[in-house]
Amino acid sequence: MLELTPLQWAQLALWVPLLSAVVLAAVWPLRKAGGPAAGVSLVAATVNLAAAAVLLFGWLNGAEDVRHTAPWLIGGQGLIELGVHLDGVSVSMLLVVAVVAWGVQVFSLGYLADEPKAGFGRYYTWQSLFLFSMNSLVLAPNLLQLFLGWELVGLCSYLLIGYWFTKPSAAKAALKAFWVTKFADMGLLLGLIVLYTHTGGFEWTATTTAATTVTLLFFLAVMGKSAQFPLHIWLPDAMEGPTPVSALLHAATMVAAGVFLVVRAAPLFAQAPLTGEVMTWIGAFTALFAASIAVVQTDIKKVLAYSTCSQLGYMVAALGSGAVLGGYFHLTTHAFFKALLFLAAGGLIHAVHSNEISHMGGLLKKLPVTGWTFIIGALALAGFPGFSGFFSKDLILEGVAHQGQWVPLAMLLVGAFLTAFYMGRVVFIALLGAPSEHAAHAHEGGGSMKLPLLVLAVPALALGFFAGPVAGLWGHEYHFHLGWVGLTASALGLAGIGLSWVMFAKGGAQGLLAAFAPVGALARSGAVDRLWATGYRQGLQVLGGAIAWLDRYVIDALMNLIGYLSLALGDRLRAVQTGNVRDYVYAVVAGLLLLGAWGAMFPG
Amino acid sequence: MLTDHLLSLTVAAPFVAAVVLLLAPDLKGAAAKTVALMGAGASLLGALAVWINYDLSQGGLQLAEQYPLVPAYGISLHLAVDGWGVALLLLTGVIITTGVLATWTLEHREREFLVLLLVLVAGVYGVFVSQDLFVFFLFYEIAVLPMYLLIGIWGSEGKVERGGPLGFVWDKLNIGGREYSAMKLTLMLLAGSAAILVAMFAMFHAAGGKSFDFSVLQGFDYPEHTQLWAFVLLWFGFGSLGGVFPFHTWSPDGHAAAPTAVSMLHAGVLMKLGAFGVIRIGMMMLPDGAAYWVPYVGAVAVLNVVWGALSAMAQKDLKYIIAYSSVSHMGVVMLGAATLTADGWNGAIYQMVAHGMMTGLFFGLVGLVYHRAHSRWVPGMGGFAHAMPGVAAFFILAGLSSLGLPGLAGFVAEFLVFLGAWQSAHAWWAIPGIIGAFITAVYVLRVGRDVFFGQGPPATFHELSDAKGSEWAALVALGVCLIVLGVYPNVILEFIAQATSEYLPLVVKGAASGVAVLP
Repeated sequence: MLELTPLQWAQLALWVPLLSAVVLAAVWPLRKAGGPAAGVSLVAATVNLAAAAVLLFGWLNGAEDVRHTAPWLIGGQGLIELGVHLDGVSVSMLLVVAVVAWGVQVFSLGYLADEPKAGFGRYYTWQSLFLFSMNSLVLAPNLLQLFLGWELVGLCSYLLIGYWFTKPSAAKAALKAFWVTKFADMGLLLGLIVLYTHTGGFEWTATTTAATTVTLLFFLAVMGKSAQFPLHIWLPDAMEGPTPVSALLHAATMVAAGVFLVVRAAPLFAQAPLTGEVMTWIGAFTALFAASIAVVQTDIKKVLAYSTCSQLGYMVAALGSGAVLGGYFHLTTHAFFKALLFLAAGGLIHAVHSNEISHMGGLLKKLPVTGWTFIIGALALAGFPGFSGFFSKDLILEGVAHQGQWVPLAMLLVGAFLTAFYMGRVVFIALLGAPSEHAAHAHEGGGSMKLPLLVLAVPALALGFFAGPVAGLWGHEYHFHLGWVGLTASALGLAGIGLSWVMFAKGGAQGLLAAFAPVGALARSGAVDRLWATGYRQGLQVLGGAIAWLDRYVIDALMNLIGYLSLALGDRLRAVQTGNVRDYVYAVVAGLLLLGAWGAMFPG
Repeated sequence: MLTDHLLSLTVAAPFVAAVVLLLAPDLKGAAAKTVALMGAGASLLGALAVWINYDLSQGGLQLAEQYPLVPAYGISLHLAVDGWGVALLLLTGVIITTGVLATWTLEHREREFLVLLLVLVAGVYGVFVSQDLFVFFLFYEIAVLPMYLLIGIWGSEGKVERGGPLGFVWDKLNIGGREYSAMKLTLMLLAGSAAILVAMFAMFHAAGGKSFDFSVLQGFDYPEHTQLWAFVLLWFGFGSLGGVFPFHTWSPDGHAAAPTAVSMLHAGVLMKLGAFGVIRIGMMMLPDGAAYWVPYVGAVAVLNVVWGALSAMAQKDLKYIIAYSSVSHMGVVMLGAATLTADGWNGAIYQMVAHGMMTGLFFGLVGLVYHRAHSRWVPGMGGFAHAMPGVAAFFILAGLSSLGLPGLAGFVAEFLVFLGAWQSAHAWWAIPGIIGAFITAVYVLRVGRDVFFGQGPPATFHELSDAKGSEWAALVALGVCLIVLGVYPNVILEFIAQATSEYLPLVVKGAASGVAVLP
């Protein structure tokens, strides 16, 4: 057994994926070979998983926090440092990332097996780069490093969404994701600058009078990264990327980075009640809004994407209400069950070569492992009692209720009902419904596509029962307690599942479908999307055109006019050189007179 | 000892190569290019030797050499390097070497082309190490003037349509043509030089008229009114080369018309001379003038950032896009300078290096694309990544650096400048600066998508192929520099910060003169 210090394990987790990415990027024959590149990346992911597991084990047994930094920049107010910070918060997130990333990389072996070799190698290069970037975010000892990792995972997201770059829609979606998150990231950058100016550093433990400004700016970035209304528009489009990418980046880890930022910077956010208020409202609204849209989606990935927006809304609302434990625990459980759902959905898509749930139907019999693990994920998401999502969602709702935020609480409760309903809809149509012709030849993927599902199903099912130790890791206490809020939520969840059963398994209550028609119309109209697109086309583009026109035809024309005038003036002045000596003498005399007059007017 | 003459050797290396080429008319093709590469490479080695030999613990001016030129006026060839110089010499060495490599495909009067290019770069080196204002100016002109011939003879034509309220001017001047672009660039920069000359002599006389040495001119307490008007002249004079609004309009036409290596050198290094002059001569020698004018200098700089970025967004010619982006990024340099803070100044010098490498890579890539596609018109392109995956990858890399992605050089520079801006007396400057970086993300990645992504390239482009041989060397060298500078900034930031800590107190009374030292 290796005898390494926690710091050394953390460095392994950080540097091995980076080494893998650098080797794959630089040694192009290896990358273009495809399979071997995947091998390199998987070795790195496995080392990372082992390191994360050892570290978590250590912290569950009460290891001391570790902080190691080294100078990176020479700032005017002292050295600016980067490094590694190991505590319960970072170590647990490290393991979440490690497990999901490992599962996704294994799953991709089968899922992308038909890809050209060069593309396959490129895919695993970005996967390794993502693992490094996410780890550097999670292990950050200060908010600056968190920001560096934050931007790098954004880059990986751009690269992986655009994996099929020959497809115009994928290239477009990659760009949109990058633009929207980059737009929001201006807030984080400015927030960091304000924080530095006020405190001389980038510590999340700082106390400052500018906390409200700083946290509001941070929250703008959180809205972008964690897809909160109205900056959620990039996430559904991001589904253009390969499904395992959606599972890793756009469900489990990268989009949760926004929530992780708030968890990390909780001491700062605690100084800003106004920011908390804003977060609760935006989070709750997003939870409800996105859940309603998920109900009417027919593409299984879009259902899950809107569901992710919605669940991130729950976390944001929790953190806004000061329920840090609830928000962070939900991040953790959600990472597992949503990654599971996406990977299982990938298995279904792989089997029928379509994303449409109507093209599936009755797949449970043909893909029992994929189907059952999907159901486990769906039940966890729906908050079915006993599943992991039940415990974490209960903590969130209790937290919001505790703050007396009744309207947001109501939105979240309705959201819980809708969540159960749309997941029930997917399960009853795609897995249990009448088989469609697309599904005729469907069959289960290979071992590499089953193993990750089984691995992820365990925490999705059972993590709730370990809420106590997990809360302990983060310095919180957890006692199970089911109050009226939790009972209501559970009842609503069961009602949602029941209603979806009536409607989609039994074909009853079809009248209710009409009730969702306006939501469908709203979703199809893409009103929010359109608003941003208008801002981009009628705002930024037109402004750019106007400025470019001014630059060319006014500013530059003025410069040209000066040039033109000096040419013309030169032409005229040529006439002065007459060659007539008498003219020159007159000029000299006139000049002397003028000088004399000057001297007389300003003596001395 | 070699180190006794390190600076003069570095400056002389490209010049010697130019003389060899001039004296040997039989040298043609690859042989001529090899001689040029040797001259450029020798100067790069010289820059690296300077970097190694500069003693950080000691700081100040080092590796000094002084040879009297005109003792009656106190003019001497006084060369010495400070921390800023170390960084900027490295930049120059990398750009000229990669520039020669990237231009290996040139086949028209290449000997003459290389002579001019090498003379130009000798001038650039000279500016960065001169400690005598007269010699500084001499080198400055040597760097600027060859541009006229380089663009006028080897340049390409751009397409600019007649329009606007002053459209009648179009009939007199062949706007967009290479002679036009060369003439415009030269005239605008010479107008700037005239202003510099006036300020220079005014300072010389005010300071006693005995010496042009920096040490004499810098310490002198000029009368306030002299400082006020001389600073404006220097800001205009140097600023027009640095792309300062509204004197930046030579830059898009000039860069678009210039051949690849010239664009690389011009945007990569030459524009930096302008910004460097504003800081080194304008601000440091005329502190009261600087104090009075910085609010305006900074305001114009943020206008530069946003104006350049928005203009770039509307361009459809690949070279114009990159040229306007240079206008925007040079605004970041001037913004950093105007903050009069340690972070801002460090960021400004860092941005000179970061932007130099980045834009050098950009223009190198655009040259490659133009050479193969015979077009720079973005709307007609698409799917080039199929035929040139390497070029596509490096284009995205350069783009990511320009939009300030952490891990690449551009981020370090912009981050420091914005930090400095918020600490300055005009915190709001940081906001348009950050917005400019966002707009960069919009247009740079959009161009990347329009040119390289999508279905295979249109059938009209049948000669597309990836970079080859020496072109690869240029791309990889610049790409690696961008990454190294982004990951481990202290390669040069230590040197830059050292000089800043010595110079800033000259301008801002009471500025901390200490510098944080790495353990």
